[in-house]
Amino acid sequence: MPPETFHFDLITALYWGLPAVAVLAALSAWTLAGRGVAPQRRAILVTLRGLALLTIVFLLARPVAVQKTDPDDRTNVVVLLDQSKSMSLVESGTTRYEKALALVENQVIPELKARGLANDVYLFAEQAAPAAFNTRREAAVMGRRTDLGGAIVHALKSAPKPPLAMIAVTDGVANISTHNRDALLGLVDRGIPFVGVGVGDDEGVMSLSLERLTAPSEVPPEETFKLTSHLQAIGAGEIPAFDLILLRRPLNGGPSTEEEVSSIVQVRRVAPSQGSRIWTESFEVVEDEEGLYEYTVEVQSAVTDQLVTVATRASTPVTVTSSEEFRVLFAQGALTWNFKFIGRALRNDPTITLTGFSRTSERSVFRQNVESSGELLDGFPDDLNELSPYRVVILSDLSPVDLSPAQQEAVARFVGELGGGLLIIGGTGTFDPSWRTSRLEELLPVTFDNDTDVNLERSFHLELTEEALRHPVFQLDNGQKNLNVWQSLPTFQQYGRVLDKKPGAVVWAQHSHDEGPNGRRILMASQYYGAGLSAIISVQSLWRWRLAKELDPTHFDRFFQQLLRFLGQSGSREVSVQFADQEQGPGLEVTALIERRPRPDGTGMDEAKTYNVRVEDPQHGELLIREITLRPLRPAEIRFRTEEEGVYAVKVTNEDGVQMAARPLEIREIDREMERTSRDLENLRQWAGLSRGLAIPLEECGDVKELLNDALTRAAALQRSRTARRPLGMNGWVLAWLLACLGGEWALRKVWGLT
Amino acid sequence: MTNGTRVSFQMSFIFVVLLALPVLSALPVQGQEIGIFPEEQLSTFFVGRLAFGENHGGDCGDVGQDLVRLVARASTIHVREEKKMSLSDDGLFETPFLFMNGHNDFVLSDEELENLRKYFIRGGFVFASGCCTNPEFPEAWRREMSRIFAGEQVQSIPYDHLLYRSFYKIESIHSLDSNREIYLEGLFLDGDLVAVLGEEGLCCSFAMDGSCNIGRGVPPEDAKKIALNIAVYSLTH
Repeated sequence: MPPETFHFDLITALYWGLPAVAVLAALSAWTLAGRGVAPQRRAILVTLRGLALLTIVFLLARPVAVQKTDPDDRTNVVVLLDQSKSMSLVESGTTRYEKALALVENQVIPELKARGLANDVYLFAEQAAPAAFNTRREAAVMGRRTDLGGAIVHALKSAPKPPLAMIAVTDGVANISTHNRDALLGLVDRGIPFVGVGVGDDEGVMSLSLERLTAPSEVPPEETFKLTSHLQAIGAGEIPAFDLILLRRPLNGGPSTEEEVSSIVQVRRVAPSQGSRIWTESFEVVEDEEGLYEYTVEVQSAVTDQLVTVATRASTPVTVTSSEEFRVLFAQGALTWNFKFIGRALRNDPTITLTGFSRTSERSVFRQNVESSGELLDGFPDDLNELSPYRVVILSDLSPVDLSPAQQEAVARFVGELGGGLLIIGGTGTFDPSWRTSRLEELLPVTFDNDTDVNLERSFHLELTEEALRHPVFQLDNGQKNLNVWQSLPTFQQYGRVLDKKPGAVVWAQHSHDEGPNGRRILMASQYYGAGLSAIISVQSLWRWRLAKELDPTHFDRFFQQLLRFLGQSGSREVSVQFADQEQGPGLEVTALIERRPRPDGTGMDEAKTYNVRVEDPQHGELLIREITLRPLRPAEIRFRTEEEGVYAVKVTNEDGVQMAARPLEIREIDREMERTSRDLENLRQWAGLSRGLAIPLEECGDVKELLNDALTRAAALQRSRTARRPLGMNGWVLAWLLACLGGEWALRKVWGLT
Repeated sequence: MTNGTRVSFQMSFIFVVLLALPVLSALPVQGQEIGIFPEEQLSTFFVGRLAFGENHGGDCGDVGQDLVRLVARASTIHVREEKKMSLSDDGLFETPFLFMNGHNDFVLSDEELENLRKYFIRGGFVFASGCCTNPEFPEAWRREMSRIFAGEQVQSIPYDHLLYRSFYKIESIHSLDSNREIYLEGLFLDGDLVAVLGEEGLCCSFAMDGSCNIGRGVPPEDAKKIALNIAVYSLTH
């Protein structure tokens, strides 16, 4: 074992501290002498005080023991593969990510295997995660930030032992630096060289992106509606004039090949502009015939070296219908009593049709009230078209793992784009942290608590919030009687543990006494999600309400009829909120148009109604509140200023305080990830320089064998020169010594009467 | 009290309080109820085994328990053990599925009939079976059930009813000891089937390891399918 040497990390503390201790000791001696303390006692007291002060100075100087370490047995190399949005830029016909992936898959990994070295590949953008072969191949290159330091820290923490080297294949554009210090210390302390391979061009260009297309989910025939495309331009140069092309495709039973049926509806010329901006461009459309249509907007711009188009196409479905049919799809992981009792509740409403889909055994499902022999035959729908006949989907007692990613995506699109309603019912057995990071979790109005391993077996009451008591869904009887109905509900025993509501969610019911970190646990809540609405009931066995002996079962029935109607009618609300074509961003003014729809029978066109508009900032604070009077098809305009990034919400309530419409608006800064599109090789060189690694552009990699030879040689050199540092700061012995000095001094002063 | 003793007393007090805190936090909070059958609320299918009239809910041993096992074996339905209860128990209104069987004649009291009436209106379901092809129980059941709702009589359920294909598809049930078809019977409320009777020793055939009623009434394999169909039907209608 090599010998240890001692160092002080902050030697300056000694330079200043030791003279200060000497001065303080002299001052102390002089003071004691002035009080007539005998020289011997004076010397003892000053010595004890001085020792305590010297100990503190010693600690402040941060002493460390340093020892050379023997090289350890390292057999793996970490490969970091950048999947941030800037890697989606196309250069010479190929994206940066495809180039990086080709290098890793075709050269780096085979060469490491040939040398008998293991490889751990991580994809990274804002966060990092291990990536198997298929994951790497199918990865969405969409990360909105790049945290190279965070990826290094994640890889170091995940590896059972330090790697020989860390190879990052990236364009070097990193815009999060919070983990850089830890990452650098990790590399240096463990003797790991950073090898950066820079992908991309060194010249920056302007980028243009069509972020999304929004539209009302459901419109009546022969009525004008608006399709809004959200655009983003990034860079310091000029965006030349370009065309937005609106395509239309009927989805009901028509040919399936897009090219065969998409037809151009409108073309809009967008004028040239300068610099970074986020803005919207709208099309006005009228459909004469009922059906489900998919609208697509495409960006067509002149091909130049100074402009890259990141996303050029966005689509949204629109249902054109005057139908009053109201179908509900009830899907459950296993048979539960919820299906039976909610089914009974809807039986009295002939306009609602409940279709059931339940798994009854490993190989069988139970379908109920299907309208054709093929409906739901292949399982829960994984296609938006299959879900479009329904107004509401109920997911009862199932977890995200019970649905495939495609099925979850279909549900999310059903709510967000088609304006459908979603009701999720569950409890202790299903509402748990497994929802996190799932697609379905985005639809939930709440987040679930991690801590599910607690005793939840105490009886509780369901208590409505003030918001719910005003809401039409919860009106089951008149006035005080309604309150009595809700107060007389039976007690329940089990519930899913909610951590908090999400921004924009409305809490309807809470636990009678379980206090979580954010107030009483939420049992019912809802939120707007895109064009639709989602709600959650986290009481395990709400069906017990209908079976309870002393309660009127029609109240249960009425509640579920009203709840499902509310969830399913978000696409055809009486009042709508739309945002005008405008530039959006922090510090800019936003214009919202609030419009009252005419009645289907065309009456009451001159009837005026008063509404309250409230605009909330991202912290749910009141940004603006205004009373407006609306007549059908005569929109009112509301303007407000967005000072910061985040989700703003425009909420419209009627005179009774019932929410009639709400629309979120996400304000964000220009996409930092795409603000600089040129390769940042200098950044990689800095990482390499500080960790004694190397950085080279991809085009100079040539034979990857040489690159790896160089990297492994550097790794071996670092291994040989690596030292272990052992801090010699505060520990139990030092603390005891310090207390002994101070305690001894205090005790002697007591004994000698020097208080 | 001197300053020194006051300081010592305060220090001791703080020390004792600090020591006491973890102990205090471990005690249960007063005034909160403890759930009686919390685990039952998690289970999907649980059977209330009925005691009625003179019957104490014990005929044919663990037949209710056998029904629960049958459901658990054949499906993914979450199950729970049976719970015995009478028609006057409040627990009746927390148990959506009841099972009753017996050998003999019985008469329900007015209170029991009223409870059953409320139970059915709220969505409860009763599955009944005569034991050992004894005719007295089925006759009494038809008579008593027909007293619950004015104008609603127990009636035979034809083979095209969903009850015969809610899980297994059953074309017909042929008696083992006579050349005839066996039909389930039921009580309907506004078109909803709320109670089902299987005579001819149905419960003997799907339970008790086939040791009862051998060679008579409903074939054991058919009986198991019928029992499961009734359980699934009650959960879906």
